[in-house]
Amino acid sequence: MNVKAYQANIRKLGIMLILVLLAAAAYMFAEVDFGNEKLFRYAMKIRTPKLIVMLITAFAIGGASIVFQSVINNRIVTPCLLGMNSLYTLIHTAVVFFLGAGSMAASNANLSFAIDLVLMGAAATVIYSYLFRKTNHSVLYVLLVGTVLTSFFSSIQTTLTRVMDPNEYDSLLNSLVASFSNINTEIIVLSLAVLAAVIFILRKDLALLDVLTLGKDQATNLGVDYDRSIRRLLLGVTLCIAVATAMVGPISFLGLIIANLSRQLLKTYRHHLLILGSAFFGMIVLVGGQLIVEHVFVYAVPVSVFITVGGGIYFLYLLLSNKGI
Amino acid sequence: MRIKELTKKYDGKTVVDGVTFEIPKGKVLSLIGPNGAGKSTVMGIISRLIARDSGQVSFAGTDIKKWKSRDLSRRLAILTQSNHVQMKLTVRELVSFGRFPYSGSRRTKEDEEIIDKAVAYMELQDIQDQFIDELSGGQRQRAYIAMVIAQDTEYILLDEPTNNLDIYHATNMMKIVRRLCDELGKTVILVLHEINYAAFYSDYICAFVDGKIAKFGTVKEVMTKETLSAIYKVDFEILEISGKPLSIYY
Repeated sequence: MNVKAYQANIRKLGIMLILVLLAAAAYMFAEVDFGNEKLFRYAMKIRTPKLIVMLITAFAIGGASIVFQSVINNRIVTPCLLGMNSLYTLIHTAVVFFLGAGSMAASNANLSFAIDLVLMGAAATVIYSYLFRKTNHSVLYVLLVGTVLTSFFSSIQTTLTRVMDPNEYDSLLNSLVASFSNINTEIIVLSLAVLAAVIFILRKDLALLDVLTLGKDQATNLGVDYDRSIRRLLLGVTLCIAVATAMVGPISFLGLIIANLSRQLLKTYRHHLLILGSAFFGMIVLVGGQLIVEHVFVYAVPVSVFITVGGGIYFLYLLLSNKGI
Repeated sequence: MRIKELTKKYDGKTVVDGVTFEIPKGKVLSLIGPNGAGKSTVMGIISRLIARDSGQVSFAGTDIKKWKSRDLSRRLAILTQSNHVQMKLTVRELVSFGRFPYSGSRRTKEDEEIIDKAVAYMELQDIQDQFIDELSGGQRQRAYIAMVIAQDTEYILLDEPTNNLDIYHATNMMKIVRRLCDELGKTVILVLHEINYAAFYSDYICAFVDGKIAKFGTVKEVMTKETLSAIYKVDFEILEISGKPLSIYY
């Protein structure tokens, strides 16, 4: 194998890691009063969980996007196509609608995260094991089903919000719009546990990703159980998306950008490198973006605006330059 | 390898109907027949890419369903036409995947030597660091064959290897098939549309019509005016060139 190219990629990842650390340090210590111990502690107490959440989110979205693109064998898809974002929106709307904004299920972060995980996991299992088999393991059907489900879930959700008490809707909106100024820090431990479990359970399938991208025929030829691995990986993608969405709201557009940046920079098929690259890019974008939002724009513009504007331009560039699409 | 009473239906339509034959070891066997005769389906079932409805495919005395996929991949390789890789993959990296059934992603020194040999055998040294998606159709086909060679299996199955290749590349492809058998001792089974390629480069021919075997035998036995006319329902003439029967159809 191309040892030089591999080492060059390792170097690139090293530089990115340094950038991540720099961004994290800048975020933690920007405009902090080091002289006053109480103020310093207060700032740390606010910033540490936010930073952790951003790092986890970047990793979950970056990894999930790379895996999803490789499974579908297309570089311009994002896991939003699975319909999981709209399912998340629907779950939260339904909880507030039926149980009320003050109920345990809506106000207890860990409980509502658990509900998300269980429902999204269950939906994904049904779709990817039952429907996948029923439709002869066609990945295109998965996309089609995802698109149909997206409109289905959104229609129900819109109907619910129309008849909802305006006050409740107001409190609901908080959890439906992605924002890093208003992140869910209570579920850090649970999220880390879920991510660790997903990686542990799927470690063998992740190692097979390089072979899976050769396509079903070649993967089978090389002795890989293609359908089983694809099913398990899609379930893992769903859970990662659930984690990221529960923490900051629906922002999988970010995944499209960072996954493609990683592919463009590293130019390799090795997924352990691609996933790391994608995660690092995500961390740089999120932490750096939030730093600018907090200190330059003083919260006037949320970071998701930057992601959407920058991402949109990059997406157009991808389409027009037709890079491997 | 023995195939017995193989049957496959799609939506109630029988595409493979009670097919029974034995694959001669160390020879080149071509499967021919009109479109929809079921030859590619039979190939798919033999290589475990397509599930069968009934029948048996026994390989080294054991049904292929009972083989571990990984073990089977060290003894039987298949190359189909659906090879669209979106990844940035170089020729050498593709060939390296041939060693996956043996070493997974951690290749040994021995693996690297086998990969070197496969690359050299297909004369790919000059382009081994180029990306697959930047190659011409003929070069890409050779890269995939090199991967199959690196997989080092006794049996090699090729589904329409000359498809989409011009005369030059298609003929070279067939010469490679012959060398795989004569020089490396492989058993090669291929699905072909060009009858004359089958006649010139194979040892045996199995002709399919409507999911059944119309004729199985040596090239000379199958390449007769009567048999071919019956299979393809057009008029045939058989000529003999350098000791091989070639057909003209009109």
